[in-house]
Amino acid sequence: MRIVVPIKAVPDLVEEIDLAADETGIDREYLTFVISEWDAQALEEALLLKDAGGAEVVAVGLADDPDIDQLLYTALAKGADAAVKLTGAGAAGPSGPSGTRTADRAALLAAYLDAQPADLVITGVQAADDLDGQLPSRLAALLDLPHVSVVIGVEVGGGSATVRQEFAGGRSHELQVQMPAVIGVQSARQAPRYAPITRIRQAMNAGGLSELAVPARAAGDGLVVRRVHRPEASGKAEMMTGSAGEVAGQIVGLLRARGLVKG
Amino acid sequence: MAEVTRPIFEGMEPAGKAVFYAVAAVSTVIFGWGAWRRARKYRMGRAAGRGPAVRAALSRRLRAIGTGTSVSRGNRATGLAHFFILWGFLVAFLATVILTFDTDVVRWISRLITGHEDSFFHGTFFIVFTFVVDTMGFAFLVALVGMAVRRGVRRPLRLRYDRAGAPAGGYSRRRLVQGDWLFLGLLLAILVTAYLLTGLRILGQGMPWFSVFSPFGRTVAEALSGLGMTPAQAVTAHGVVWWAHASLALAFVAYVPYSKAMHMLVDVVNLLATDRSAILGLPGPPPGAGHPGYREIPDFTWKELLDLDACTKCGRCHEVCPARTGGAPLSPRDLVLDLRQWVDKSAGGRTLLDRERRPERTGPLAAGGGVRIAGDVIDADALWSCTTCMHCAEVCPVGIEHVPTIVQLRRSLVDEGTMGPTLQQALQNLAAQGNSFGRSARTRARWVRDLGFPVPDARQQAVKYLWFVGDYASFDERLQDNSRALAGILRAAGVDFGLLYEAERNAGNDVRRVGEEGLFEMLAEQNIKALRQARYEEIFTTDPHTLNALRNEYPALGASYQVRHYTELLAQLLESGAIVVRPLGYRVTYHDPCYLARYNNVVDAPRRILKALGCELVEMPRHGVDSFCCGAGGGRIWMDDSLLRERPSQNRIAEALRLDVTQFVVACPKDVTMFSDAVKTARTDGRVDDRLAVRDITMLVQEAMLGPGRAPAAGMSADDLSVQERNNVGAGPEMKP
Repeated sequence: MRIVVPIKAVPDLVEEIDLAADETGIDREYLTFVISEWDAQALEEALLLKDAGGAEVVAVGLADDPDIDQLLYTALAKGADAAVKLTGAGAAGPSGPSGTRTADRAALLAAYLDAQPADLVITGVQAADDLDGQLPSRLAALLDLPHVSVVIGVEVGGGSATVRQEFAGGRSHELQVQMPAVIGVQSARQAPRYAPITRIRQAMNAGGLSELAVPARAAGDGLVVRRVHRPEASGKAEMMTGSAGEVAGQIVGLLRARGLVKG
Repeated sequence: MAEVTRPIFEGMEPAGKAVFYAVAAVSTVIFGWGAWRRARKYRMGRAAGRGPAVRAALSRRLRAIGTGTSVSRGNRATGLAHFFILWGFLVAFLATVILTFDTDVVRWISRLITGHEDSFFHGTFFIVFTFVVDTMGFAFLVALVGMAVRRGVRRPLRLRYDRAGAPAGGYSRRRLVQGDWLFLGLLLAILVTAYLLTGLRILGQGMPWFSVFSPFGRTVAEALSGLGMTPAQAVTAHGVVWWAHASLALAFVAYVPYSKAMHMLVDVVNLLATDRSAILGLPGPPPGAGHPGYREIPDFTWKELLDLDACTKCGRCHEVCPARTGGAPLSPRDLVLDLRQWVDKSAGGRTLLDRERRPERTGPLAAGGGVRIAGDVIDADALWSCTTCMHCAEVCPVGIEHVPTIVQLRRSLVDEGTMGPTLQQALQNLAAQGNSFGRSARTRARWVRDLGFPVPDARQQAVKYLWFVGDYASFDERLQDNSRALAGILRAAGVDFGLLYEAERNAGNDVRRVGEEGLFEMLAEQNIKALRQARYEEIFTTDPHTLNALRNEYPALGASYQVRHYTELLAQLLESGAIVVRPLGYRVTYHDPCYLARYNNVVDAPRRILKALGCELVEMPRHGVDSFCCGAGGGRIWMDDSLLRERPSQNRIAEALRLDVTQFVVACPKDVTMFSDAVKTARTDGRVDDRLAVRDITMLVQEAMLGPGRAPAAGMSADDLSVQERNNVGAGPEMKP
């Protein structure tokens, strides 16, 4: 079984993020980039499937993503069997201040998956800059494959995958999907594993990262960022004063007033 | 007049002698086989590189072993008893060697050469010999009885073998206790029969005049005589007791390599080969093993294998360990005993009554392929409980180095990714941004902004001192005030200092001790590169952990620095008069950070500062190199405390509360955090009012410069200080030590 895990580099949100001069994106020059947290969950879920029953896990990233080599080597250190960096004509796409558009990203990944099909494509359900989670659904549409998102667990058997999809309030339901399929992971069954730096360095020295040029492919319509806004302060913290008993009373009053506790 | 000597093999038939020599030969062979098995086990270990350490201090260490300084340190009564047991045993052993030499060599050779038997075992030699053996033997006996009383009646905590963490299925260490009593009992029996034998001989000889030189043997003879024994009866009884004594002695010889008695040989080697610098700067992962931590016996060095056998279960480490004290499932003694039992089991060692028993095959009894040393033999929680405070190795009387072994085992856990979520997050933060807080590396020196004066970037301009600030002093908002205060003091004292700014990374001391070797190397490489770009004469650090890394860990990576702690710098500035202060008159206690006092022997500088500030220092019982860990070291600060019954920091605050002091002074940024939390907890529990304040020593210096009670809320501006300094000149009580 071949599982492809598309991963994406996003700015480390601990950084102080400034807007680009034209205000259509952020200034990416001095930022540190990390793996999108949902992609880290997707990779973990794929590795758990590998641990459980054997699968070939391939991490795929775009050469245009900053620090993508580091992220792909980390995936190898965690146990991915191969890591591929997509380059070539079209791979760059219209990489504006916000990086590759999700529509273009999906097109590039689809081109790769056309050439090297997978039994399962597992990726993050969303990303900090793709909060409506377009990537998995676009990818499924381009590949004409079934698609499930907001997934919190995948099991495989007999040509199909059983996935758990999460709803609000801790409810979930189980779906069966014919493989190949595209799955957008909300969270893996366990927290993403740690990749010791020694192993990442070993992966780098072993050079297990391959580059692949993929043909440009019509991206279709995507969103165009017109303007990015700075965060606006919408309220202030209320400071409570008084003795511990008085403060406790104020807190209880507030919680009651907002209907958060009964009685 | 009778000749001044005593007959050897008195009244014994040749057949009896033959039996004796045969049994002696058998017991020697059994000894040899056991010793050989042990040696074979140690040879499974890899090289330890201890040659230089042994050569450098050979005579000093031999003297220390002979006088038993490591045993008597902090335990004078036990040390004295051990001293007499050690020398009583050596005298008895030497006496046997001398007699054997006289009987089996001198007499035999002289008969071959001259035709008649010569012997030196008579006259003055005999008298001196008898006197020394008789008195030392008695001291030996008294010491043994003392030890037996301590073990059997007084039963201090350290001699109780309860595990720090009990396995779910239960366990029994009764055999360990039986083994101890066998050792003590055998020695006692040998001594008691020896005196009985001497008494019987003296009585049988008719109390010759020279028997006064065996005062205790003669006392026994007089007692036997007083009980009505005749010389003839004594001669008969002597024959029986002789065999009892000889059998016990020969049994003891055979018993040595299979029991804790072996410590008398193993521990001499272990004490000669121990190397403190291997704890200050840890050894790397096993070379050529293909895995970063310990997984199998050949990963251990021979010294580490010898460490396991060196342990006499004295329990000093067990008693001082902050993890064990706090209720964590780690005791350094358990670690050593578990590893010993498992290695013995796996390598075919043979021991007598030296094993823990369990109904389930867990821990040291784990068997079969796929058993992990880190995780199965030693519980992962036990390994994660260590604060690497080094108190165990500090108090160990036999030179065991616990900490490096723990770190090697942690390296295996990290390699497998077995760790708690908070630690994993901290390591990921360190990998991404070079600090455990996960804050942007670019904001590391943000605290400087509120100083009101510029601090040079040592990468841009040459400075005298490079201040390596560290994570906590840079990022923790509660500690940034300390950092600003120190900057203000240094500026007022005219000290030329600079920073690495955003190029500084966590020094990696605790990353290394967590077992994340690759991350340590990465951080160290980044720091070394930044330091190479900077121009400075000397480094000082806020954090003792950073100090240890720069001083003791980086040299192995080819980077050696002249590095000091800020307390050393402050002490010097106060004593030279560069800092002018008015006495504070506080009654304070001072907590020695492990990495400052125990690791780097900086004990005086903070005390000199307190003296210069006119503070009265009241020492806690555990101070200086015997300080008690705050619980933060070795990466513990990044892990949760759910396994602890009582945090070490709370234990420490309770110790300080027994003194009548108002200030708990610290000299490590992490300590401010740890102990402020502990005081808050104590306050919540109603055990403390507001009288105990946790303060970094920097804040005391600042207060003394401004005048008592005038601690500014935030960073002190240099103008405040210089004004204050001007006011101080010729104005009132001014302290210039």
